[in-house]
Amino acid sequence: MVDRRAFLGGLGAAFLASRLPLRAESSPRITLLHTNDTHSHLEPLASGSLAGRGGIARRAALVKRLRSQGGNLLLLDAGDVFQGTPYFNRFKGSLDYKLMSMAGYDAGTLGNHDFDAGIEGLMTALEEATFPILNCNFTWEGAPRLGQKILPWTVKTFPGLKVGLTGVGVEFHGLVFPKNHEGVGWRDPVAPLGAVVRRLREVEKVDLLVVLSHLGLDHHGAAIDDLNLARLVPGIDVIIGGHTHTFMDTPVRVDDTHIFQVGYAGVNLGRMDFALGPKGEAIACGSASLPLVDRRG
Amino acid sequence: MVLSSLFLSGALAILPSAGTPTLAAAQPEAVTPALPEDPAVAQALAPCAAIIRKEFSQVLAQASKRIPRGKLGEENLLGYWVTDLMRERASRCLGQPVAFAFINSGGLRADLQAGPVRVADIFELMPFDNELVVTEYTGREVLQLLRGGLIKKAGEPCSGVLISLQGTPERPVVSASWLQTAPLDPETTVLIATTDYLLASGDGLPTRGRSKKVIPTGLQIRQILLEACAELGSQGKSLPCPAPGRYSFAPGMLEALLERRIAW
Ligand SMILES: [Zn+2]
Repeated sequence: MVDRRAFLGGLGAAFLASRLPLRAESSPRITLLHTNDTHSHLEPLASGSLAGRGGIARRAALVKRLRSQGGNLLLLDAGDVFQGTPYFNRFKGSLDYKLMSMAGYDAGTLGNHDFDAGIEGLMTALEEATFPILNCNFTWEGAPRLGQKILPWTVKTFPGLKVGLTGVGVEFHGLVFPKNHEGVGWRDPVAPLGAVVRRLREVEKVDLLVVLSHLGLDHHGAAIDDLNLARLVPGIDVIIGGHTHTFMDTPVRVDDTHIFQVGYAGVNLGRMDFALGPKGEAIACGSASLPLVDRRG
Repeated sequence: MVLSSLFLSGALAILPSAGTPTLAAAQPEAVTPALPEDPAVAQALAPCAAIIRKEFSQVLAQASKRIPRGKLGEENLLGYWVTDLMRERASRCLGQPVAFAFINSGGLRADLQAGPVRVADIFELMPFDNELVVTEYTGREVLQLLRGGLIKKAGEPCSGVLISLQGTPERPVVSASWLQTAPLDPETTVLIATTDYLLASGDGLPTRGRSKKVIPTGLQIRQILLEACAELGSQGKSLPCPAPGRYSFAPGMLEALLERRIAW
C-alpha cells in the first residue's frame, strides 16, 4: 500500500522542510542530491542486511521526481564509482558512467578505486561521462591526457545563485596499485583546495561552495579527513564525503562546514537543501538520507 | 558568506556545536517501496545485466563447507585456500619449489559460501586484476613479514609455513617452520609467491623499496581460482576447506595481541 507513511519516509523529512516557509519567501534555493562509493552497484544489493536496497534505475527515478518539482538541483557523487560487482570487471566502469550520465549527474570526483582499471581504462570509461569529474589535489604531469579530462573546479549558475564545486582525493599510497595511477601524483589537499576556495569565493563570487571529497570522514588523526579539512580550509559550506562508507542520517557541522556521507552502494541518496539569506548567506534548511528501498518493501 | 547553523527538519534543530549532527534523523523505518525504476536507465541496464547473468552465473564446483575469512584473531581459511593455490601454481609455473606464498586479508573481499560456487562468487572474493609473481626472500625476511602481519592484522594468510607466537607480551618471540621440514633458517633464500600489487605497494613488506628480482607469471590470481574450481568441478570433487592450525599462540598471547598489549 502506498500510504502516507511511505510518502513521508520515501521523500524524507527534507521534502517537508523544503516546503517550510523561509524568512525571505522568494530567496533562491538549491537542493544537493548526492551519492558516494556506489562501487558498480548498478542493481539493488542481492544479499546482506541491505538486500534489495539501491539500484541506479530507481535512483534515477527518484532524482527525476525531485527535479520535476522545478527547484534548483544538483546531483553529485563523491567517488569510488568503480569496483565491487561483476559489472565493473566486465564493463570497466564505462557502464557506470554511462548510466550516471543518464541519471543526470552534474559532477563527480575520483576515488581510489576509480583507478582500478588503470589510467587508460579510466580515460576510456570517462568517454561515457557527460558530467565533469573534479579534483584539485592530484597532479597530472605524467598523465596529461587524463589531466585534461579532469577539472579542478566548476561553477553552476542558477537564477540568483552560483554554486562552486571542486573535488579532493585520497592519498594513493597503500590504496592504489602504483601501475594504475602512473603519472598521477597526490598532494595534501589543504593548500590546493585553499587556493581553489579563494578563487571560487573572490573571483567567481559563488554563493555556495561544495567540495566533493574522497578523503573519508574521520581517520582519527592518521591522515587528512573531512573533519580536518573543514577545520583547516575556511570557506567551505558543504563537504559531500565518501571513502569511509559512513552511514550518516544527518550532516555533521564543523565550524561553518556541513559534512554529509550516505553509506555506500547507492542504498541511500543524500539530500541537503540550502537557501540564500537576506545578506547572501547560505542557510542550511533541511537534509535527509533518502533510502532507496526495494520494490517488494 | 557564513553558513547559517540553522537546519530545519520539520522542527527547529537546536544550534549544534562542532562535530554534532545538525539535524534530527529522517525516518527511514517509515519507508515502503513504490518507487518505480527510471525506464530509460532500466532499459540501458537490461542487456548488460543479461550478459552478466550469463557469464557470471555459471556454476564451477560445489563447496561442501563455507570457507570463511575469519574475524580478527581467527585463522583466514579462505586465505589459506588462495595462498595454497598461489604456491602450487607458482611452483608449477617455474618448475621449482616455491616455499611460501602470502596475500593480505584485505585483498579478499567476500567469504565463499557452502553450495554452488559460481564465477560471480570468485569475482566477488577477488575483484582485483592482480597477478601472481615470484621473488626471492631470505628466511629472515619471511619472518619479518610474518611478524608484521601479526602486529597489523593478528596474522595474515599464508601458505608453506607454521607460525608460532611464544614468549610473553613483554618479550614476544615469533618463530616459524617450513611445512614438514626444518625450522626456517634466516640465511637461506627461498622462492616466495605473492601478488604484483603487494610487492609494489604493500606496506610493511621487509623488502619494500629494495630492488628484488621479480619473476612475473602472467597469471591473474582470480584466473587461478577460477581454473582450480573448474578443475575440481570437472572431477566431481567439492572445494576443500583448509584446516586451521597454521598459527599457534602461547597461552594468553592471542588475547594480548588483540588487545595490543605486546611490546613489539
Ligand atoms: Zn575509497
